[in-house]
Amino acid sequence: MASFILNGETVTVDADPAMPILWVVREKLGLNGTKFGCGIAQCGACTVHLDGQPVRSCSTSVSQAEGREITTIEGVSGEDGALTAIQQAWVSEQVPQCGYCQSGQIMSATALLRDNPAPSDDDIDEAMKGNICRCGTYTRIRRAIKVASGQIEPRAEGEVA
Amino acid sequence: MLNRAIIAVSLATIMLSACGSSEPPQVVEQIVVREPGEPEVAIAAPLTDIALGEEAFQRCTACHTVEAGAPSSAGPNLHAIVGRTAGSLEGFPYTEALAEEDFAWDAASLDAYLADPDGFVPGSDMLIGTVTDDEERAAIVGYLVSLSE
Amino acid sequence: MNDLTPGEKGTKKERSGLSKWTRRGFIGAGVLAGGGLLIGIGVRPGNPIDRLAPKVAGGAGEQLINSWVKIDADNIVTAIVPHCEMGQGAHSVLGQMLADELDADWNLVRVMQAPADGSYVVNDTARMFVAPFTMNAADWIEPTWNGLFTQIARMADVMITGGSSSIRTTGQHSMRIAGAAARKMLVGAAADAWGVPASEIVTRDSMLSHEASGRSATFAEFASAAAEQPMDQTPVLKTADQYRLMGRSMARTDIPAKINGTAEFGIDAMPEGLDLSYAATIRPPVPGTSALRMDASRAREMPGVLQILNMGNFVAVVADSYWQANQAVNAIDIEWSQSDSPVKTMEDQYAVFADALDAAGADGGEEAAARGNAGEALANAASTIEAEYRVPYLAHAPMEPINCTAHYADGKCDIWTSTQVPLMARSEVAGILGLDAEDVTIHHPYLGGAFGRRLGSEYVGMAARVAQATGYPVKLIWSREEDTQKALYRNADTCRMRAGLAENGGLQAYDSVFTQRHDPAEACVPAMYSIPNTSVRVAEAPLHLPFQAWRSVDHSVQGFFIESFIDEAAHAAGADSVEYRLSLLGDSPRHKAVLEKVAEISGWREPAAEGRAKGVAIVESFGTIVAEVVEVDMSDGTPKLANVWAVCDAGYVMNPDGFRNQIEGGIVFGLTAAMYGELELRDGAIVQSNFHDYKMLRMNEVPEIEVALINSGDVPVGGAGEPGLPPAAPAFANAVFAATGRRLRTLPIAKQFA
Repeated sequence: MASFILNGETVTVDADPAMPILWVVREKLGLNGTKFGCGIAQCGACTVHLDGQPVRSCSTSVSQAEGREITTIEGVSGEDGALTAIQQAWVSEQVPQCGYCQSGQIMSATALLRDNPAPSDDDIDEAMKGNICRCGTYTRIRRAIKVASGQIEPRAEGEVA
Repeated sequence: MLNRAIIAVSLATIMLSACGSSEPPQVVEQIVVREPGEPEVAIAAPLTDIALGEEAFQRCTACHTVEAGAPSSAGPNLHAIVGRTAGSLEGFPYTEALAEEDFAWDAASLDAYLADPDGFVPGSDMLIGTVTDDEERAAIVGYLVSLSE
Repeated sequence: MNDLTPGEKGTKKERSGLSKWTRRGFIGAGVLAGGGLLIGIGVRPGNPIDRLAPKVAGGAGEQLINSWVKIDADNIVTAIVPHCEMGQGAHSVLGQMLADELDADWNLVRVMQAPADGSYVVNDTARMFVAPFTMNAADWIEPTWNGLFTQIARMADVMITGGSSSIRTTGQHSMRIAGAAARKMLVGAAADAWGVPASEIVTRDSMLSHEASGRSATFAEFASAAAEQPMDQTPVLKTADQYRLMGRSMARTDIPAKINGTAEFGIDAMPEGLDLSYAATIRPPVPGTSALRMDASRAREMPGVLQILNMGNFVAVVADSYWQANQAVNAIDIEWSQSDSPVKTMEDQYAVFADALDAAGADGGEEAAARGNAGEALANAASTIEAEYRVPYLAHAPMEPINCTAHYADGKCDIWTSTQVPLMARSEVAGILGLDAEDVTIHHPYLGGAFGRRLGSEYVGMAARVAQATGYPVKLIWSREEDTQKALYRNADTCRMRAGLAENGGLQAYDSVFTQRHDPAEACVPAMYSIPNTSVRVAEAPLHLPFQAWRSVDHSVQGFFIESFIDEAAHAAGADSVEYRLSLLGDSPRHKAVLEKVAEISGWREPAAEGRAKGVAIVESFGTIVAEVVEVDMSDGTPKLANVWAVCDAGYVMNPDGFRNQIEGGIVFGLTAAMYGELELRDGAIVQSNFHDYKMLRMNEVPEIEVALINSGDVPVGGAGEPGLPPAAPAFANAVFAATGRRLRTLPIAKQFA
């Protein structure tokens, strides 16, 4: 049995201690926002926060979470689903295409902005280079991070060609 | 972006594409170990320490191999790791931190590294491979040591 | 979707409205249960040519509905579209086109995925694929093509998303017609009720109003009555100056769910009431081989394992969790049959191509295109250049791994999966399980990327077989390793090219021969250039790895070949790469304008920054002309991507920001392949396995990208999903040449500077 705090609530699961957090959260706890992409910590789709730090949940066993706090994408929004500044920027900049990698992208970006409220391009490169986007939304992610940190203005909706 | 079969058509004839006439699926061999909901089958013979170590090492195989001559993947090939200078496997893109080290791996250093990679070699990149469980870690180290004997 | 059962015969009243034919298709209306308006837009199944009519399934009375639109009692407009949403924004923009013609309030518009039922066959799309030049065919040929394609589409289970086609077909031909027709019917109903001329009624934001009498009503209030109105089969569509939503960057309807973890993808299927088991599989390392024997002694002792199956063309472990299944399946010792393919390495594969090209020689092979006399012109040219180009196999690698959940019980099968071809998947399952298609239901939510990977259904068949063999509802997932190594691929190829130049460097002759021609047919022809003597030939050769269309298909290969070689010709002529191309675009004013503009916005004619150089390429694909300039930074001796400028002419862009997003994505996809993309072979099996060795461009490596749009108007609307890709690799390689003098005739690029 493994016991940890998930998105603010204590949970106990019957799981092989070696099972990665990713699969415990998806299959045993029914939270599918965290995604499987590669299984070897190369793509970042599985990023969650472990005691606030971004980790790749596909390569972190649930035994390492024992007694600690895990935050998934489902736990990032505020009360009543209020969007964070990052999530709002993701909408204003129309970031997602297929959307599959975006939970991981948002988890990495959230940790970045919490630790560094006004990241430079190099800071963004360093924090986000572990998250692959196959649809190629990188330039929009960068812009959205800068919008969320107040460094540039958001895009206006409904522009004409 | 269609399969070729759909592209080939002529005005003069309607192509009645053959659909659904596949052979019945063949199951060559089916092993039923247990049904969902049933308890796990007990392992027949107790595993030796080395076998336990090999089991424990399974979680490392996502990134590491111990097979002589096999190419490294996300992590360096660990064949004959015991006795090898840290960060020295030719061709592997180590972090600067590990590449600069010049000690040779042994049971003690492997144990310390696996317990806390970033603490033992600050700046190294293997946080995901941390093994906090003492028994599990000892088993892995024992297994790696056994491979070099 | 519980108030619509496509395919079911409606009441007599509904059916009487669904009976008018037109040349292109038909449109019909009925009343929704609970009040409201339902519109069906489809393609005419009947055929006036007697001998063909009986062969059309179901005869003249049967309908093939392509899309639906409903306006319900809550004044919500829902478009039900047959295309999947795989990131290209098709759902949202189709809703946008509908809402504009209907004068609906954008906030009250929803888009839904059509269920995988034969009624949702996308006939226009099938037609576009099979005969691209008939989309605007002469009137007399239309009915024949329509009837034929209906039949073929039905039989071939064509409910497809691909070919950058959703806007060009369903959007233009279905959504807009439905919107315009519905608007007119609503106005007619209000006019009758209010006793005022229809011409005095204004529609706006899902409201009808008559200023003179001060009356107004929501669409919902007149929706049921609208269904009784006569239907205009060929309603007048808005012209561009009347657009209110089309042409604007309206926010995508699917994005809100994609930023908080609630969007559901195929792999997320958690069907209610089902206790899922999970399957991991190993397919043969070498194509065409099978599993002879397996030693599962270790696997059967591993935690969570339920069953272990050798299915011949794959081995599977079914367990309590995917992770346990995957651990166990990798612990099985499998003996595979021997392959009799002589191709063990990529050198062997290129040797196969070379043999075919050698046999074709200077003028053999099948002619793909010819103009003038290339052979003679080459012989008489003042100077000639020759080159051999090669491209490797590439994997699609969508972020969402291949997956399928199958539940087979009581003679019915339910499937949850990410697919671009739901009806093909349905057929495959029905065939395997010996069921009627009606007993197989495909549930297909968002796709986590596809790029062509999900145009096949082999993995759906695998899940069905495992569900059948075990009796469990099972979720089958391919590991990233499996999808990298055991999938279907963008083909490799070799191309031999020759050009003949006049004294002044002008391009007089062009000849190319290669071995792989899939589609689109015109990808290999440098049609936009005015080259008086052109010859394009195909000398077919077999592929070791199975082929699957990969984003932009043949354009991804031919774009590199053609635009690199034209660059070589420019250099041989001592000319600037842009100027040389411009001189060849005399008959292609739209292409010329696009190229001029990209030269302008990229500062092509200004001196290069220190350590940097630019390359250019222009490719027209899927109806859209795209020119790109790539700027590389070679200051540390390795190519780094600094900037990309792209100019696109798609005729008219329905949603500019959405279009730009697709072009940016196509550029990143193309540059990733150019920089790193390569699959190597060892003993006939693929070497690369995951993202550590099948590398992707990441945040720290992507360039700044600027996309400008030209709406040249009055041409068939071009696609967005694929056209950004083909110019990327050649523009990049041409930039490297400009920086280093090294002409890259093979890809990928990074390893050539390692």
